[in-house]
Amino acid sequence: MEEIKKVIELKDVTKDYGDFKLNAISFCVPEGSVCGFIGQNGAGKTTTINLILDVIKRDAGEIWVFGESIDQDSAHLRENIGVVFAEMGFHEFMTGKDINTMMKNIYKNWDEEIFFTYLKRFSLPSKKRCGAFSRGMQMKLQIAVALSHHAKMLIMDEPTSGLDPIVRNEMLDIFREFVVEEDHTILLSSHITADLEKLADEVVFIDGGRIILTGNKDEILEKHGLLKCRKEDADKVSESLIIHKEISSLGAEILINDRRAAAKLYPDFIIEPASLEQIMLHYVSRER
Amino acid sequence: MKGLIYKDILCLKKQFINFCFVLIGVVIVSIMYVLSAKYGNLARAGAQMLSETENHLTKIDVKNLGSIALALFMLLPIAVVGDITNAFIQDGTSGFHKISGMLPVSIEKRVLARFLSIYALFAMGVLVDLCLAGILSVLTDLMTFAEFFGIIISAASVMSIFSALAIFYCFLLGYGKEQYAMLLSILTMIIFFILLNFGKVKTLFRIMSGALPEPERADGSLMMWDAFDFLKEKAWILLMAAVIVSILSYGSSLVIAKRKRGMI
Repeated sequence: MEEIKKVIELKDVTKDYGDFKLNAISFCVPEGSVCGFIGQNGAGKTTTINLILDVIKRDAGEIWVFGESIDQDSAHLRENIGVVFAEMGFHEFMTGKDINTMMKNIYKNWDEEIFFTYLKRFSLPSKKRCGAFSRGMQMKLQIAVALSHHAKMLIMDEPTSGLDPIVRNEMLDIFREFVVEEDHTILLSSHITADLEKLADEVVFIDGGRIILTGNKDEILEKHGLLKCRKEDADKVSESLIIHKEISSLGAEILINDRRAAAKLYPDFIIEPASLEQIMLHYVSRER
Repeated sequence: MKGLIYKDILCLKKQFINFCFVLIGVVIVSIMYVLSAKYGNLARAGAQMLSETENHLTKIDVKNLGSIALALFMLLPIAVVGDITNAFIQDGTSGFHKISGMLPVSIEKRVLARFLSIYALFAMGVLVDLCLAGILSVLTDLMTFAEFFGIIISAASVMSIFSALAIFYCFLLGYGKEQYAMLLSILTMIIFFILLNFGKVKTLFRIMSGALPEPERADGSLMMWDAFDFLKEKAWILLMAAVIVSILSYGSSLVIAKRKRGMI
């Protein structure tokens, strides 16, 4: 069987800021996949992305990108990575044309034709200062830059946060187009789980600097379920199935780790599929 | 790396516009100055200074005074282009350091780009000044082209030392502290200047406070002309110092940038 290529691999990566610690995290992103990096604000998503990009120095652990350790020469690895941040980062006085001139003198594979095609497609004026762009336009500009140097991987940190649903959907379409190519990969960090539910193949849950769940999205959604019952019935559910239970005056809601097994064992209880958001909330509550 | 230099120069575009205005001003004022020194009020003032015996001024002193005034005009274009801290301020405000971290440019090249950006602007300033010096040296006998050249190289070297120190302090202190970086650069230069010329600075203070007896005071006054001659004739010493400071600043900035990573 052909081994799955990993474009990103982290092993026991630790970064200690004193008041926050990324605690020996390990996960990998397979080639050709969309990996959703989920966690609430302050969970450690941006720190992890900065570590992958070698923008900050880790305290311990190993990171490989495209099979190469980032300790060797991380600069050349970044030729194949397009990055999109939540905030634009380009100087407000810069126009699309300025950005093109700057980038074509930085990226070996910069394709100005593609860049201007994206600007046109996104209705971004190339001669207007990007400081005058709306937030949606600024994000689109970043995406145009990330897609114009023939990157094989996109790393995006909260690219859809603060955007209206129409622009968010437009962006998700662009990401889908990107991953049509077999060797194209996306690592998409977000706390908006609805976006990831539409797009991701793999998910990595992070909370308080620790990875709490990782795996194939469909398998995770398939396995997990929400068992709803009266609160006095909650104790009847086997502990081995329970990830976390929440008891309220209205009844009990239990996140279970094997929906099929639970359905067989408890045919009288309502067992619903759980969304990524519900799974995340229960896991986070359990950790606390 | 060329892209980052382009970005830095865009950041300093405002300075470049100021540079153009200053340049036009300097050209006009210099021509007016030369004409006035030959035929106008400045010529009359010089003659008057010579006629007043209590001034103890010689013809050379008057000529030197004129030369210093002219040299100061000439140095304005270099001084205007020389503030690299603006590039740091703009990067800090926009959050560009996040983007530079994800670009396929090594930290060595990113730091080098900062130095090359400012030296490119200096080179432009020097070039323009040299053209101006060529014209002025033909129009006036205040200074020869070689003397103008010495003054311009000296000024560019001093500004390079300032910029190299400013870059180092900007890396050391991080974004948002560019004013402190400028202040520390000036202080460092002043401290080095005093340490290297302690005796002369002491004499100067004694002249200013009136503590020096009259004959010695006259000798001390010559120090100013000596300094001016030094700038005209021994510019290579300052140039060497600028090269050494730049290399040291690049090395130290690189060490800091590598430790901070995201801060460039």
